[in-house]
Amino acid sequence: MDVFATNFKTVDWVIVSIYICIPLVIGIIVRKYVRQLSDFIVAGRSLRLFIAIATLTGTELGLVTVMYNSELGFKHGFSAFHIGIIETVCILAIGITGFIVYKLRQLRVMTIPEFYEMRFGRNVRIIGGILLSLGGILNMGLFLQAGARFMMGVTGYSNPAGLKLFMSVMLIMVLIYTVLGGMVSVVLNDFLQFVVLSIGMLVGSYFAIQKIGWSNLFTAPETVSSASWFNPVAEGSGFGMIYVLFMVVLTFSAGALWQSGTLRALSAKTPKVAKQLYAWSSVSYLARRVIPMLWGICAFVFVSQSPKLLSAFQGPDALNSQFGMPIFIAKVLPSGFLGLIAAGMFAAFMSTHDSYLLSWSSVITQDIIAPLKKGHLSDKQRLLITRISIVTIGLFLLIWGLWFEAPVSLWNYMAVTGTIYLAGAFTVVAAGLYWKKASKTGATLALFAGLLAILGIGPWTQGENIPFYLSDKFIGLMTFVIAILGMIVGSLLFPDKGTQQEVTQ
Amino acid sequence: MNWVLLWKIVLLFTLFGYFFLVCIVTFGGIGNIIEMLKDLSAPSEEP
Repeated sequence: MDVFATNFKTVDWVIVSIYICIPLVIGIIVRKYVRQLSDFIVAGRSLRLFIAIATLTGTELGLVTVMYNSELGFKHGFSAFHIGIIETVCILAIGITGFIVYKLRQLRVMTIPEFYEMRFGRNVRIIGGILLSLGGILNMGLFLQAGARFMMGVTGYSNPAGLKLFMSVMLIMVLIYTVLGGMVSVVLNDFLQFVVLSIGMLVGSYFAIQKIGWSNLFTAPETVSSASWFNPVAEGSGFGMIYVLFMVVLTFSAGALWQSGTLRALSAKTPKVAKQLYAWSSVSYLARRVIPMLWGICAFVFVSQSPKLLSAFQGPDALNSQFGMPIFIAKVLPSGFLGLIAAGMFAAFMSTHDSYLLSWSSVITQDIIAPLKKGHLSDKQRLLITRISIVTIGLFLLIWGLWFEAPVSLWNYMAVTGTIYLAGAFTVVAAGLYWKKASKTGATLALFAGLLAILGIGPWTQGENIPFYLSDKFIGLMTFVIAILGMIVGSLLFPDKGTQQEVTQ
Repeated sequence: MNWVLLWKIVLLFTLFGYFFLVCIVTFGGIGNIIEMLKDLSAPSEEP
């Protein structure tokens, strides 16, 4: 069987072409509803429960999400499901308690660094803004690469220049689309993504399970150990207890404070809706993990049944494991439906990029450059800086995606780079909201501690027999611990002078 | 611990739970969009 054989036909190209025009049309139609900054960034804080669930799911279910989760399923089997369980419990806990999100929505802030200034002053906002944009931009560094690999696998385009070609075309489309953005159009597009992708994922799962067979699905392939295929703490699973602990702190902090997700909570009509949003969305957080992982598992079982396919993923010239799922669905899904899935994924890719590019470029303008200029920037200058930032970030993504390979897996790369921002942000916001003694010095130390996570994407994290203290999971977990210690020690040794800020009351 | 049984339950719960969520959110979301656009068309409360 040819590795890149596909059911993707002309009709699928037509479906993709038509579908990706829809977000552009929506963007143009709804521009009349955007009259002020809060309309643009938080949709006028007008989101009710169901549309908020759809838009949160639409944002958190991008093409890169499907790629990194399917890669985890392809490489680690059912043992990867534990990440979905942990994340679901964390999101549900945030929904039930309202931890962080309820208070942030009450404060009516629009970005996380805005809270830093409200609670700890301008300098903390600038430092937080720099680290947020650094972590955020590095975090999306491999989005283009993963997206291009998906499109290559699905369309069967195996030319070695394909990665560069798809990355370049996708980047240009994203940059054009982003210029038309704004939260109202993003919300409507997210709703469309939610409906199309959700139906596609459920129907796609039916085809995948039907191809492999229900009983075969739960039998570990001969090439892997049965224990590590199912048990996340078994030796050889690639996870272990340190990883599980890292996932608990990471998914809890990301659930509460990942910029794109939190923005939806801040857009909710009331603080109560923000809480309900998280409780209901716990199911979709489970689905965004488990369903792509299922596809990855089916892909590996499918590949294991064909010596030619299996050999393509082994040896020194092995295909990247991210190709496993797209190559599988390209052979299993019927033409027409495959086009719909590819179109939905591509639109989700554009929508995610749009949100992230806007988020990070806005942080550079609003939370770094504007405070440095002490607010002496006209709207025209702000817009120009934002646009320059978007294009600069886009070029960085292209170069980084062509040059850099995730040392362990795409998800581990995302987790560690996300920690650069999350370790500091989670500590600073949680302490800022719930601990009256939290001080500027503590906040600054916690934010800088997040930089330690960069060590987690170094080449020393690669390989099977590395000592645990050099592994990305240990570095990630320790970054959180050091950030929390930095906040506690810094606040106790160097308390803020004067009266306590009103924010914590 | 029977991991296979656990993952079977998790998989079935996810597929059926998500199916119901998608149905509820799709129909509820259409109503919400209409209300949101009405809100945004109304005169603004913020300066």
